[in-house]
Amino acid sequence: MKKVFALVLVALMTVAMFAGCGGDKNYAAENTEFVIGVSGPLTGSAAIYGTAVKNAAQLAVDEINAAGGLNGIKFKLVAMDDKNDPSLVSGNYSALLEGGMQLSLGTVTTKPGLEYKNLAADDNVFFLTPSASGDDIPSNANGYQMCFADSNQGQVAAKFVNENFKGQTIGAFYQSDSDYSKGIFDQFKKNLDPSVQLKVTSFTEAGATDFGTQIDTLKSCNFIFMPIYYDPASLFMTQAKDLLSPTAVYFGCDGFDGIDSKQGFDINAIPQRVTMLSHFNSKATEGKAKEFIDKYVAKYNTDTLNQFGASAYDCVYALYGAMQQAIANGKEIPVTISASDMCEILKEQFEGGYTLKNAVTGDEIKWEQTGYVNKTAIQYVIKESN
Amino acid sequence: MRLGKIKINHYINYLLIGVLTIVLGSITLAGGKFDNSLLFLLEKMGFNIILAVSLSLVVGFLGELSLGHAGFMCVGAYLGGKVAALLVPSLGNGLITFSIALLAGAAAAAICGVIIGIPALRLRGDYLAIVTLAFGEIVKSLFQNTSDESFGGTLGLETPRFDRNYLFIIAFVLVLITLAVVQNYIRSKHGRAVTAIRDNEIAARATGINVTKYKLLTFILSAAFAGVAGVLYSYSNYRVQSAKFGYNYSIEILVMVVLGGMGNINGSIIAAVLITWLNTWLPTKLTGDLAVLQNLLYALILIVIVIYNNAPGLKGFRDKYNFGALAKKLIMRKVDPSRINDDKAKWDVVPTKISMDEILSVDMKQQEVYTDRKRGGKD
Amino acid sequence: MEEILSTLINGLSLGGIYAMIALGYTMVYGIAKMLNFAHGDVIMVGGYLIYVFMATNNPLLAILLACIGCVILGVCIEKIAYKPLRGASPLAVLITAIGVSYLLQSLAQIVFGSASKMVTVYEFGSVQLLGCTIQVSSLVTLAVTVAVMVALTMFVKYTRMGRAMIAVSEDKSAAQLMGINVDRIIMVTFAIGSALAALAGLFYLLKAPNVFNTMGAMPGIKAFTAAVIGGIGSIPGAMLGGILLGMVESVSYKITAIAPYTDAIEFTILIVILLVRPTGFLGKKRREKV
Repeated sequence: MKKVFALVLVALMTVAMFAGCGGDKNYAAENTEFVIGVSGPLTGSAAIYGTAVKNAAQLAVDEINAAGGLNGIKFKLVAMDDKNDPSLVSGNYSALLEGGMQLSLGTVTTKPGLEYKNLAADDNVFFLTPSASGDDIPSNANGYQMCFADSNQGQVAAKFVNENFKGQTIGAFYQSDSDYSKGIFDQFKKNLDPSVQLKVTSFTEAGATDFGTQIDTLKSCNFIFMPIYYDPASLFMTQAKDLLSPTAVYFGCDGFDGIDSKQGFDINAIPQRVTMLSHFNSKATEGKAKEFIDKYVAKYNTDTLNQFGASAYDCVYALYGAMQQAIANGKEIPVTISASDMCEILKEQFEGGYTLKNAVTGDEIKWEQTGYVNKTAIQYVIKESN
Repeated sequence: MRLGKIKINHYINYLLIGVLTIVLGSITLAGGKFDNSLLFLLEKMGFNIILAVSLSLVVGFLGELSLGHAGFMCVGAYLGGKVAALLVPSLGNGLITFSIALLAGAAAAAICGVIIGIPALRLRGDYLAIVTLAFGEIVKSLFQNTSDESFGGTLGLETPRFDRNYLFIIAFVLVLITLAVVQNYIRSKHGRAVTAIRDNEIAARATGINVTKYKLLTFILSAAFAGVAGVLYSYSNYRVQSAKFGYNYSIEILVMVVLGGMGNINGSIIAAVLITWLNTWLPTKLTGDLAVLQNLLYALILIVIVIYNNAPGLKGFRDKYNFGALAKKLIMRKVDPSRINDDKAKWDVVPTKISMDEILSVDMKQQEVYTDRKRGGKD
Repeated sequence: MEEILSTLINGLSLGGIYAMIALGYTMVYGIAKMLNFAHGDVIMVGGYLIYVFMATNNPLLAILLACIGCVILGVCIEKIAYKPLRGASPLAVLITAIGVSYLLQSLAQIVFGSASKMVTVYEFGSVQLLGCTIQVSSLVTLAVTVAVMVALTMFVKYTRMGRAMIAVSEDKSAAQLMGINVDRIIMVTFAIGSALAALAGLFYLLKAPNVFNTMGAMPGIKAFTAAVIGGIGSIPGAMLGGILLGMVESVSYKITAIAPYTDAIEFTILIVILLVRPTGFLGKKRREKV
């Protein structure tokens, strides 16, 4: 019987150890810096996106800190790994919050983001996601997006096609098990003019090796809409370069960005024309984007340079700018402010039409009341046809 | 240790989990609040324990390798979540909705258990393993391609989340129910029939055991509890997303079972708790640039533990230095010479350590004829 | 007609890669009786090695060095992770194999970063046949796979070492009693398996010149499926299963309506085949003895 008591005692002690009472307490009460939290895939097959966001956000934080922070208070970035797995988000989110997070970049990808947005809404934590582009991500008052929402991209692309390809046949190539790709494609199809003939082919992540069959289907198309990320896209282009007409045009969305800086991939060996509709061009030669690219490449390298990072960089500056504006409007932001109070202050700024000017992904970035971003998408020509 | 006719060892897991539930539950009901991180961790531990225990039924006791346990969970999560989402407007997000969702999820998973149980009658070893793996991938792929209105497609199904302050209590009550059902099943005559099939199917058939019935029954039971875990999952997340339920997750559950010791329910529980904790704790410590070390550490821990636990060459080392021996030294200084440490002759004891040669390949013969497969030092 | 033909050719070319990977799986499984879940990741390492050694600008040298690297890696894995578990339950070995798989993936990320790299090993170009374009690299893949299959079969059947392998796979302790060095045989098996993985990595790169740290995972699983369809442990079976799987995948991607379900279709076909033939097409049926 003694043994049983011993075990019960051990169990009770374990419980007592855990039982720090939580609830609505201010976890940031002992902060000496403002803590920015982000959860993203730092390992696994989507690691490149999380790494880009982490690097770029760190770059922005370092710059702000070097310039003196917010009235002398510095910022700190905590990036946690969610492996693009939504079930890890609750653990990450609570660890971030309990670690003193006051500002958040949400998640890098949409799947975990759909979990994150609800958790953050429960605790009233403000987040501005750089790249979780799902339509539902900013559905709560505390969530904002820096990237274009999927449906928006699909509609814009459909508009472009309707204007230029009425009555013609075009091709579409998407990844059926990716929320990003399928989200854009569905909206694109919905908004397409009925006179446009569409040849559709798709692939799954597990089958992203050999696109022979898909290339075969798209053989006769002169315009191919490809709402996919640059990694499979570069593979597709390499395999298709001699099989598709050299005058064909690839038309991608912001996922295409980074294709020309991919290591080992020579985009000039692709005869076809490559264009994309995006808010950032990683081969930009002027303006703020160029500045960002130079700084990023100097610190990290071109490997992880893409629009995810550019958005994250802007996100940090947007949060910083909104805090500055709030202070200018007479608000007080002490370093130990709770995440919830911070959320109220930031919501007020963003709802009040806060504008980020002269940023990397746009000259003037505003946000709708719905949380969607309002900036101009530019059609970049990554490469002209040979 | 005996209390009258009851063996404490059989009930120690109920006791510990029960006490934990009551203590934490009463703190919550008294108005106390725990940190979210603890609540989320407890919820996850809850469904992972159920998964490990139910998989242990198939792998440890029936002796068939299953690599698609997450598939059953997926079915349970989607169906249970859908039922809950439909019922919440009329019945509210309470225990009634939860119970109905639970039954629906478990039933749906059980039906899949029948579907997979039938090939299990015909196939053995790796062939069955690959069929279960295939099942998991099929389920994942099918749910991924559903329409937005039915099961949400690639974005997943939005499901009601239970009040996070109370869900862990329900989770642990479900763990207790699972344990009660599974342990009673194993210790009943049905359970002995199942282990007989595992040890030698032909001999079991010869003694008149209905192999078909017991194999199917075990598969169904295991699948149904995976479905229960799935419903819990759907209730502890705002969304059920099928990408989660790939073979990686099935393997993680299998790791829990193997680490805990095949056919050892308590071991599975401990392994499930440890792995769940490790998976939540590692990302909090290894943030930013260090994140890449997570998988490295996880892999190293896995390899070291498995080699330590299973390597025949380390047997002497293991017998000398292990937690059991250490604990024994600490708790019981004196050994009662009148106690018989051997329970070979007892009917209510199922051998917990088994030779697993048959699981992966039927045609392999016993290799270590000289290994004395002593049942660890159970008192 | 042309469409059908080109779809079949695409399937054949994809099947060649699966067959190559499946050969490695089946080799290790047939002799060592273990599911080497890390096989896909050895392919990944092979891919990275080719990527690194392509700096020499000599494809043949790069492939040779990659093969040697993979053989050393395979033997090391066997010695460190699998050998201590000889005689323990196969499930324990399965779990360490999974551990090794995670280990290789994270090491690759630490060394090479998270961004995938493109590597062009050699451009074979394409030929026209009956109105279809055929990649020469696919023909090379198929030819080499068939050659490897024949060589392996001959090796196992007619050499001393090969016959010793069969003996080990039949009964380890009896083989030991006959004076066969079981440890050495298993080591050689892993060496061959890893060399095959490096070759598979090469053909993968000829088709999809993209190296990243999880590149081996899914092709590995699919090739394992292929090996099971053909009858795991059977060398011609691996070839057959691989080609069949490639065909199914190609046809399924061709039909737009069912394309998203491709993974499900492949696995369903696997289940159906196994229900009809429980040991795959060419798997050995063994009587269970009482």
